[in-house]
Amino acid sequence: METIVDVNHLNKSYKMRRGKEHIQAVNDVSFKVQKGEILGLLGPNGAGKTTTIKMICGLLIPDSGSISIKGMDLSKNKLQGLQHISAVLEGNRNLYWRLTVRENLEYFAGNRGKSRKEVYGRIEELLEQFNLKGKEHELVNRLSRGMQQKLAIAVALLADSEVILLDEPTLGIDIETGYEVRQILRDIVEKSNRTIILSSHDMDVIQDLCDRTVIINHGQIVVDDKVENLMRLFAVRSYTITLGQPLTDQQEILLQQEFSHYQYSADRIEPILEIDLAKSENIYKLFDIFKKENTPVETIDRSTINFEQVFMKIVKGENGHELASSS
Amino acid sequence: MSWLHLLKANFRKEYIELKRYLPNTMAMIFTFYFIFLGMFAGIQVIGDPSVQDVNTQYAIVNYIVWFLAMVVMQDIGWQVTNESMRGTLEQLSMSPMGLWRIMTARLVATTSINLIIVVVLLYISMLTAGQWLNIDVIAIAPILILTLISMFGVGFMIAGISIILKQVQSFLQILQFILAGLTFVPLSVAPFLAYLPFVKGVDLIRYVMIDGATLSQIGVGNFLILAFNAIFYFILGLVCFLYCERVAMHKGLLAHY
Repeated sequence: METIVDVNHLNKSYKMRRGKEHIQAVNDVSFKVQKGEILGLLGPNGAGKTTTIKMICGLLIPDSGSISIKGMDLSKNKLQGLQHISAVLEGNRNLYWRLTVRENLEYFAGNRGKSRKEVYGRIEELLEQFNLKGKEHELVNRLSRGMQQKLAIAVALLADSEVILLDEPTLGIDIETGYEVRQILRDIVEKSNRTIILSSHDMDVIQDLCDRTVIINHGQIVVDDKVENLMRLFAVRSYTITLGQPLTDQQEILLQQEFSHYQYSADRIEPILEIDLAKSENIYKLFDIFKKENTPVETIDRSTINFEQVFMKIVKGENGHELASSS
Repeated sequence: MSWLHLLKANFRKEYIELKRYLPNTMAMIFTFYFIFLGMFAGIQVIGDPSVQDVNTQYAIVNYIVWFLAMVVMQDIGWQVTNESMRGTLEQLSMSPMGLWRIMTARLVATTSINLIIVVVLLYISMLTAGQWLNIDVIAIAPILILTLISMFGVGFMIAGISIILKQVQSFLQILQFILAGLTFVPLSVAPFLAYLPFVKGVDLIRYVMIDGATLSQIGVGNFLILAFNAIFYFILGLVCFLYCERVAMHKGLLAHY
């Protein structure tokens, strides 16, 4: 597969408004994106996602490291590199609110050096695809937030660039429009083999759309793996164990010493232990603890887990680095 | 060709926005017309009656060029500030044409549209004052084009500063008075001002419009100074703009307001 975006050892720090201190927003971030891939960039607020996206778009200059788009070093050939990139960074704020839908599309195409005639057919297609046909002569400030968001994405697509970066594409829009946007993005990748890098807080969007996810926390990559691998890995590692009798104090102390991530509820008829077993041999350690007081085990179930829980576990540092290296 | 499409797109946008903000445009024209009326009334009431006609002619030319200088040089600063507030500055910066080319297209587009307003204001002022100036387009056009190029240079400097500082409104207001000073002071009083961005141009426009000079009477020397100013200030402005853009991209200021 062809690597279309190659991010190498990126570093970026910002000076604090007061004082001379610097905040390390991005710390040695490296990843590659293949042609036709949808990559999800995840992380809590302030993790460094937007800074990374903006460096890929050429809007921020990294302190060190490099970004190549289709083999072109962005620091040396920025304008050539930008021909292959388009982005929606601030959703509806990326538009001219006193221009109509069509005027916005034509204006941004003109800013990329394309004539109205040249993009006429493509605009018609996009209006159709985004269900904006009846609204093409409407001023943007009169559109709903969802429609504005769709238009912002349509503007990015009009560039016909190979890489599309979307920062929070479904933020602030209703479920129906969010679903529509997801459908459109999936179509774009499937039908035109474009590459999408998207950041989102909506885990459903990531789980539904992305082939692979890069999770950033405190400016560093903690996980770079396929969504399905992460789901499988965490599902395998998480168990719900129903016990025949409560654990003794001594057993609880041992549990605390051996395992960092578990939840034990004794205040029910059958005590339940929910536990993550990062390594398979840990199951023996767990059973050794049960054996000490001959605690009967009634059932062992693999926990069902959604991507939001996977994300939370990784961000909270539950063996994140181990995961990253295992991928 | 891509340059042409860029220029056309920006012309169209500026024209559409001018139409959509028509009350604002009309208010601006009326404000400037009232400023002229104030100046004209001043000349009539307290001016020396023996040189009243000449003073009125000077006032018309100076005030017209002042208006033009303001809209050309300041507008780009306002535009950068507005784009930053709207959130579209980053979108423009991602264009493979480069932000400076888009800003050049904007400058050419807004200047061309404002030139129409200038002509309207000029004729209204002449009609009000009953003074008819020499409108020799062949002589005025090359002077005006070279003067405008040097003004674009200053416009780029202001745009560059606006990218970094954003809140430059107070500075732009002060600039109005600096520009007024530079357009109203005759070059004979301070000859060194000829090397400032547009003062020489204003002086030559006065020479044509008031003294009735023709293109051949202006002389190659004057055009050389104008051409030097145009090239020097445009390049200086562009270098300043590109430097400021780079600083903004280092510090992450493109999206901040």
